[in-house]
Amino acid sequence: MLDKRLVIVSGKGGVGKSVVASGLALLGQRNGLRILAVEMEAGGGLSAHLGAGDPGFEPREVRPGLHVMRMVRSDALLEYLSLQLRLPGMGRLGAVARAFDALATAAPAVREIVTIGKILWEVREDRWDMVVFDAPPTGQIASYLRAPASISELVTTGRIRSQSKWMADTLGNPALTQLILVTLPEELPTSETMETIEWVTRTGVVGPPTVIANRVLEKVSVSSTPQGAVGDMLTLHRSLTEEQERWLAELPPDLTLPYMFGLFTPGEVAAHISDELEALT
Amino acid sequence: MTRTILVTGAGGVGKTTFSAGLAVQAAREGVRTLVVTVDPARRLASALGAHDLGDEPQPHDELEHLWAAMLDSQASWRAVAMRHADPEVATRLADNEFFRAASEHFPASQSYAAADQAATFVQARVWDLVIVDTPPSGGGIDFFTAPAQMADLVGGRLLRWITGGPLPGRRFFYDRAARPMLRIADTILGSDLLQRISEFLLDLRTTYDGVARRGREIETVLREAATLVVTTADPAPVGEAVRFYRQLPEVASTPAAVVFNRVLPTAWATVRPDPDLPVELGRIAEQWSAETVRQADAREEFSSRYGARVATVPWRAVPPTNLAGLAGLMDDAEGIPWGDLLP
Repeated sequence: MLDKRLVIVSGKGGVGKSVVASGLALLGQRNGLRILAVEMEAGGGLSAHLGAGDPGFEPREVRPGLHVMRMVRSDALLEYLSLQLRLPGMGRLGAVARAFDALATAAPAVREIVTIGKILWEVREDRWDMVVFDAPPTGQIASYLRAPASISELVTTGRIRSQSKWMADTLGNPALTQLILVTLPEELPTSETMETIEWVTRTGVVGPPTVIANRVLEKVSVSSTPQGAVGDMLTLHRSLTEEQERWLAELPPDLTLPYMFGLFTPGEVAAHISDELEALT
Repeated sequence: MTRTILVTGAGGVGKTTFSAGLAVQAAREGVRTLVVTVDPARRLASALGAHDLGDEPQPHDELEHLWAAMLDSQASWRAVAMRHADPEVATRLADNEFFRAASEHFPASQSYAAADQAATFVQARVWDLVIVDTPPSGGGIDFFTAPAQMADLVGGRLLRWITGGPLPGRRFFYDRAARPMLRIADTILGSDLLQRISEFLLDLRTTYDGVARRGREIETVLREAATLVVTTADPAPVGEAVRFYRQLPEVASTPAAVVFNRVLPTAWATVRPDPDLPVELGRIAEQWSAETVRQADAREEFSSRYGARVATVPWRAVPPTNLAGLAGLMDDAEGIPWGDLLP
């Protein structure tokens, strides 16, 4: 997984995609790679897990070699416009960006291309060995992954069309880009993940995704059940593993991460996930 | 007067199951209750007595006073805008590629459609209680801001941004040479796209009055509703719950309670496994004990730091999927402020 230039981590809300993205970023950093970890929204899990405070659009180094940035669409747009137009004076650009953003509301692939385009541009530049994108949840991921293709269909002329080609090529090249789908061994995350895999396979916008099942409980081999609270704990544990087995059989994951018992700080969780990923890969 | 409860919370915390349990409990007490849910698990949908749950409320086969409806997650504000457009414009809009794209991708679209449908049920005055399981998209809070966002989108704001001045006539966009800003956008996006978007926006704007009026009605319904925040003790959902808890008073009301789901028996916190137990069992017991401590800490922190009323719902290995299971879950729940919730 560490040999990819871009790793996109998605999953249904609440499955722990941010913690997997953080764990992967930490693992890369520990292996001496230059890592850029990107989160989508303010208050997102990634910065908490990586102890990055409140990162902005400008990548912030949180440990040697590990940078964290937050995608701010208006900033990405300004950066894009200033690179494209080489216009002096940000005040003027601000008005252009506002107009552009308004137009983009009506042609949403334009909005999404600003986000995915910024990430792909960072991949293209030689500043990072790996970019880890804590991406939008599976419900929205399709519009991001499809954005370059949508733009080609929507826009018949203009500079943005010519740029969408290399973007689509980078996303679609399995040697460069890996999609990770994080899931839980439960009904809804399993069905949503399977739908996403089906969509990815059908469209081929990215290579085959890697599926990581999170919060998987270890099976108990002892069959006896003591009296009292410990027995109750075992009964719950066994019922939970039985339920989990069912969904793991439905969608066999490539990797499983264990349930994290009793850990509290986001940093601790991310560090453990990082260790687990290292042991697994 | 119909009472409304909006159940908010991050995805994956068991919000839908809890909403269903709440509805079952209310119906058992003789309150005519409609539970409105988004995309329930198949097993839960069947527990609500719905063979094929749709956006029309259906009475439950077995439990009197209980109705259920499932919001169409594919429905969007597109239908709403069409409703407010005159026939000629509606025909043009229906064929417009941007309309299709925008209605699929407008971030608040699903929330808006859900809020609109929920408000319709509340206004119908058929039920004493309407429980709305809010969609998790966009962080949940956009359920409340969607009507205003929708009006903004349809209204003049976009056009004013594009033109930098008062609303133009249809010809404005053809006169691009006079506007350097548009020339720049032109270079990047291509002139054809710009023109098509601007025509679309001018059409869309004609629906503004209707959409804005409906938006204000929806907002009134939402503001008068009671709210609940559902979470588990995991750090990420708790973080979301804190956000909801602090933002909800601005857009609706102070949450009646923060409901912690998947709660372990508090007595497990002090369990010390017998040293004679097999090592494996001892380890598992220690893990669940540590988990119980962590859960209690999370609840304690929420109530002491934010002054929230905390309710608990026990952990079930398999989420309840029938009436008896849902009723049992509510019987074992603690601290739910029924007095503030039921009409």
